[in-house]
Amino acid sequence: MNAITVSDLSKEYKEHLALDHISFEVKEGELFAYLGENGAGKSTTINILSTVLKKSGGSVKVFDYELGKEDDEIRDAIGIVFQNSVLDNKLTVKENLYTRGAYYGLSGRQVDERLVPFMRSFELSEIWNRKYETLSGGQRRRVDIVRALLNDPKILFLDEPTTGLDPKSRKIVWDHINYLRREKNRTIFLTTHYMEETRDADQVVILDQGKIIAKGTPAELKSKYAHTRLIWYTDRSGEREEVINGYEFTYDSDHYNVMFQGNITDFLYQNKSRITDYEIVKGSMDDVFLNLTGKELV
Amino acid sequence: MKKFAGLTKRNLMVFFKDWQSVVFSVLTSMIVFVLYLLFLKGTFMEAFQSVLDAVPGLADFIREEEIETYCDLLLFTGVLGSAMITVPFQCLSIIVRDRENKIDYDILATPVCRWQIVLSYFTAAALSSVLLTGLILTAGLAILVSKGSIYMDAAHVMGAYGVVVLGSVSATSLFMIVMLSFKSSSACGAFFGILSAAAGFVIGAYIPLSQFSESVQTVCNIFPASHITILLRNVLLNGVLSEMNRSAGGVDNGMFVYSLKEVFPFEAHMFGNNLDVSGMLVYVSLAVLVCTAVMIFTYAKTYKRK
Repeated sequence: MNAITVSDLSKEYKEHLALDHISFEVKEGELFAYLGENGAGKSTTINILSTVLKKSGGSVKVFDYELGKEDDEIRDAIGIVFQNSVLDNKLTVKENLYTRGAYYGLSGRQVDERLVPFMRSFELSEIWNRKYETLSGGQRRRVDIVRALLNDPKILFLDEPTTGLDPKSRKIVWDHINYLRREKNRTIFLTTHYMEETRDADQVVILDQGKIIAKGTPAELKSKYAHTRLIWYTDRSGEREEVINGYEFTYDSDHYNVMFQGNITDFLYQNKSRITDYEIVKGSMDDVFLNLTGKELV
Repeated sequence: MKKFAGLTKRNLMVFFKDWQSVVFSVLTSMIVFVLYLLFLKGTFMEAFQSVLDAVPGLADFIREEEIETYCDLLLFTGVLGSAMITVPFQCLSIIVRDRENKIDYDILATPVCRWQIVLSYFTAAALSSVLLTGLILTAGLAILVSKGSIYMDAAHVMGAYGVVVLGSVSATSLFMIVMLSFKSSSACGAFFGILSAAAGFVIGAYIPLSQFSESVQTVCNIFPASHITILLRNVLLNGVLSEMNRSAGGVDNGMFVYSLKEVFPFEAHMFGNNLDVSGMLVYVSLAVLVCTAVMIFTYAKTYKRK
């Protein structure tokens, strides 16, 4: 079943087209990575899907609910971690979570019950009565995520959830995201600047200037848009360059760097007597992004 | 209902947990009070004395404690009147901060109805004003009672609390509309500075409105807050004025009290006419209705998905 179905979605601001007729589907239980540089339209998409912004065109369905007609049902089904913190600085963690729980009609006791699984995994006990403004960046992000999970959402939108976090906080966040996917079959809609975080994604969509420029699994995208690099340790000679003629290559002090797109196995098998000392470096999602957009994600 | 109550509680907590914000919201009232202690009281008393001296024999009838109570209560209306302007404004500035920091996105993405969001801001601001102004009223009355008689019965006291509620609601409904014009907290803060400085003059806390030209009086009395201050004067000061009249025993044919009411007006003067208590109540109620209608229209547009 599709958790999200987006067809021909567009968003126009006066003379600027923020989203240019994009279409994609997210299956229930998927980790969906939505990539693009700043201003590509990622947050706009999330704000439309979460019923905050109005679409200019196209259609969106969240499960069976149609955006624009059944918005309250959609709001009940989603949780969002926004790019910027949206909790109140002067309130404690407890007060922030209790008041946000009330937005979903939850009483204090119901919020307590919902929070039981998070108290330990998100290390909430130690910061429970501290004002939000006194928390570190990592602690704040953990509270933001718990806030997004208060209504036990079927879809969790994470807009750059780990940007600026220390490794420990990133691990806590990712452990819980993985738990939600694997144990609770929750759908995760992720935008991130860390390409390694898309490694386990079921589907990746790359957005550039409001248009989808590529989509597929990480493996599909890497084989299509990233080079596999063969590092061949050998002396430089014309005879050896004959072997790799037809491929893009360079020579660095003691080895050749040969760029391959797609399968390298056949080439190595054919040249197994000549190429004996080598390494294979797989193309990364960074390479995919760089090759597609000509820009690095910062 | 739980969602609306939760949002309202959140707005109240955000306001009251920021003690600096609370202090700034009553700063104008504090300034009026300090100015009164420093020189306003002396000025008022001197003016009284000169009026009394002008009518031979009158000073023997009007007691000094009556004059002092009159001056204290006069100050008190200024303190309360300015608090009912600045407190709801400061509390409503949460709307601007929420929009600036995109906290409203977090609220809009939940199943809370749009009208509940708007009403929660309104309710929290009006409640904050009723709570803080009510507290000032209670404390002020307690202090004045401890000093001597305040010449007020229970109906007057209840009336004062009623005016506080009406004043808080009317100021909140007006500022709800004003808030939407601010794009940033800094612009809102700058306006609050101007408002704090102007509030005392508009309601006649420093200088009686009767000292200004007719057009200035009309402009000041367009704002419901001026009517609220005059209404407060009516409920808080009528007792002591009646007592003064009784004390004078008809020596001046009621002219002393009449002239006092001319200087610090007990009726709102606008467009060449005077509005009495019921006229002012109707005017403020109409202002609340008009502001609420405009508020519903403008907020429906603002909180509709963009």
